[in-house]
Order: sequence, then C-alpha cells, then structure tokens
Amino acid sequence: MEKGLSNVFTAFLSPSAAGGENILSIIISFVWLLMFMVFFLYPSFGQRMQLSYMLRDLERKLNKLKSIKDEIRQTAIDTIKKVGKPDFDPTPEVDRLSEFFVIPPESMDPYGIVYKLEHILEIGELSYENEVKKLAPIAEEHQVKTLTNLVEIARGINTLYRVVRHYYLLGKKTSNIYLVLQIQMIMPQLVEIAEAYRMASVAFSQGQPIGDSIGVLVAAKLSDVENKKRYTVARDTMVEELELENRKVYVVRAIGPGGTVGRPGEAVKNLVESLPENPKMIITIDAGLKLEGEESGKVVEGVGVAIGGPGVDKYKIEEVAKQRNIPLYAFVIFESIQEAITPMRESIAKAADVVLQKVRKLLTEKVEEGGVVVVAGIGNTVGVG
Amino acid sequence: MRYTEGGFMTWGPRPREKMLQTITFLKCLECGAENSRPFMEWDFIFKVVGNEKCPRCGGSRSRIVNIYVPEKKESK
Repeated sequence: MEKGLSNVFTAFLSPSAAGGENILSIIISFVWLLMFMVFFLYPSFGQRMQLSYMLRDLERKLNKLKSIKDEIRQTAIDTIKKVGKPDFDPTPEVDRLSEFFVIPPESMDPYGIVYKLEHILEIGELSYENEVKKLAPIAEEHQVKTLTNLVEIARGINTLYRVVRHYYLLGKKTSNIYLVLQIQMIMPQLVEIAEAYRMASVAFSQGQPIGDSIGVLVAAKLSDVENKKRYTVARDTMVEELELENRKVYVVRAIGPGGTVGRPGEAVKNLVESLPENPKMIITIDAGLKLEGEESGKVVEGVGVAIGGPGVDKYKIEEVAKQRNIPLYAFVIFESIQEAITPMRESIAKAADVVLQKVRKLLTEKVEEGGVVVVAGIGNTVGVG
Repeated sequence: MRYTEGGFMTWGPRPREKMLQTITFLKCLECGAENSRPFMEWDFIFKVVGNEKCPRCGGSRSRIVNIYVPEKKESK
C-alpha cells in the first residue's frame, strides 16, 4: 500500500524518463493556458473583476449611509414625540417631509432671479416650519425652529442616501466602471458628511449651539450691554442699538435660541434705508470653511460680505452698500464643514472674544467718534439666546 | 511613524467618532463666580437659570455664558 502511494507521488513530482515533465507541471501549464485564453478571448475580464470589488465596497458604504439615515430619522421622530407630544404617530409625516423638495427658479432669463429665488425659498421655509409645528403642538416657538432644522437634517441625509444608491444601482445595472469609480472615489467624504449629519442631529435634538452659530454668538456678545434698544427688522431677525467706544452701533442677528439663520440681507437693507445717515461701514461676521491643515477657530479678516447660503442675503447687502457707497468689512472664523454643523468646539467658541477685540479695534481705527456702524452676526442661532 | 495605528495601512473599518460631552458654563448673578456642568437639554447661551445653586455663595440665579465641547490639550 505504502509503496503504491509513493509511486503516485513519484509520478506526480519526478520528471519522467521520456520528456522531463511530471503531472504537476502539466496541470500548472494547463491552468496558465486556460487563464491566458480567458484574458485573450474575454479582454474585459479584469475590468469585470475590478468592478465587482468596487461594487462590493460601495455596497458596504451604502449600508453604512443607510444605518446613519435610519438613526437620524429615529432621532427626529423621538424628539418630536418627546418635545411636541403629538396625539398621533409622526412617523409617516416625518417620512413625507424627508422627501420634500424646492424647485429653483428658471435661470434661462436671469433678470430678477435673486428675488424669485428668495420668494421660493421663503415659501419652502415657511411651509416646512408650519408642517413641523403641526407635528409638535405643545413645543415652544424656538423649539419648533430647532425641530424644523432637525427634520431638514433628516431630509438632507435622505437625499444623500438616495443619490448614492442611484449611482450604485445604475453602475451595477450598466456595468459602467467609470460611473462606479467616480462615486467610489468621493464615498469617504460622503460618509464623513453623513457622520457629521449624525452628530448634528444630536445637537439639534437638544438645542445645542453648533459651529455655525459663532457669527451670531459674536454679535450677541457684542450687544451684551445694559442700555440698548431692541426691535425686529425682518422675519426672525432683530437689531440692537447700542453705544460702543462712543460710536453708534446697530447689531443685526437672528433671534435665538431656536435654530434659524433669519433674514440678515433683508434686515441690513431695511435698517440702512431707515437710518437718517449712512453708516460708515457694514461689518459681517460668519463662520468660513477652512482648508485642510488650517487650525479651527482661526480668525481672518477681509472685505466684502461674509455670508454663505444661496446668495440672496449677500446680494441684498452688496446692493445697498453699492448704492450708498458704504465700505464692507468681514471677519471669518475658520472651521471644517463637519465642525460647522456639529456641537460648537472650544477653539471656535473662544474665537468669539478674539473677533470682539478685532471689531472694537476696527471701529476705533476706521470710524470717527459719533459715527454709525452696522455689525451683522451671520449663522444659525441655535442655542444662542 | 507607526502605520498600523489609524494610518493608511489600517484594514478594519474606522471606529465611529465619539460624541464628546458638551459643557455649559454659568456665571452666578450674585457673586460673579463661574462654574460649569454637563450640558442639559435646551440650555442656551444667555439663559438665566433660577434653580441651580452657586457652589461659592449659594445664590440661586445664574446666567449661562458659554456652551462648548472642550478639546483635549496636546501635551508638548
């Protein structure tokens, strides 16, 4: 028996007397030939294999996006139930609002597009807020605004998930490696944004200040004095009149502590038009996106209007400033996109005092005593009263 | 450089970023002392809190002056 086995191994491994070949080397040669034939007759085989690896990787990340989306949806539903105490299940309504859309105006003829865009955005914002109000009947006004932001986050992550799933399925259906490659390349950033959305949902479910609140926080700290006059100048936006370094300062900011950005453009325009004399300058303070490698909370200054978003507010301030020849100064506090929508970090919060000093310095250097200045704090005022 | 710790050679999924504790900073309206505590839902900056005792003077009215997530100081 043992001898028989040893004969088999000998035949398998040892070269035969005739041609110097054994069975193993013949099998290996055959496999090589087969693979060569496959690659020769089916040239896209390698690409197919690569595509299947990429689709598997994409599928894993898509599942992660789905789990984050479901977590945010649940946070929104639970918070609405807890804060608003509706006498019905808000789940179907939250799902409906997650699919809500806003169609931007036609830009073929750009004349008047800013005001058309403003009109559409305003309708969208108002109807969204009213829908959330119906879901949370006993919530206070500021809580309704914050809950609206929370449902908007659920809508944002839902859109992100649907778009990624669309490209994944389209790439799979058409076996288009270039389509899959593009979405796979940006997937790490998309997952990071989704993680930021997840943390933002926690911040909004509790009414915590976020990184984007820094502009409003600076304005609030600037106007944190005894003798001041306060009034509303546009929807969700107020003005506080005060004396600072013997200058008359009008501080514009969104009304907190609910999550809203207000209407800073409309507010500054209305304010400037109502003043008896032109302001000597308009200062805007906002959070700005940092580049990789830059430190969060760094304060930089420049000229222009520091406002992000769709551009309506920026346009209005630029327009009124141009008409009346008012200089525009801006302070920006650097932060990442993740930091902008997640609970405020120490380095960003502490930058508020640095900006305050810089604003005071700018006032004393560029504006004579008795002069009028408008300072606008831009951003979401969640968690800032 | 150790590539195996969180570098590009890490094969497993990246650990989920932890939610750090947010801290609320209060200033007593009677003695001016500052103290802090973990963030409580619906706290907001400039909110006057009437039901928390000041650890220094025992005063019951405080004002929230800041809310943020503390960052770890890097050791030099």
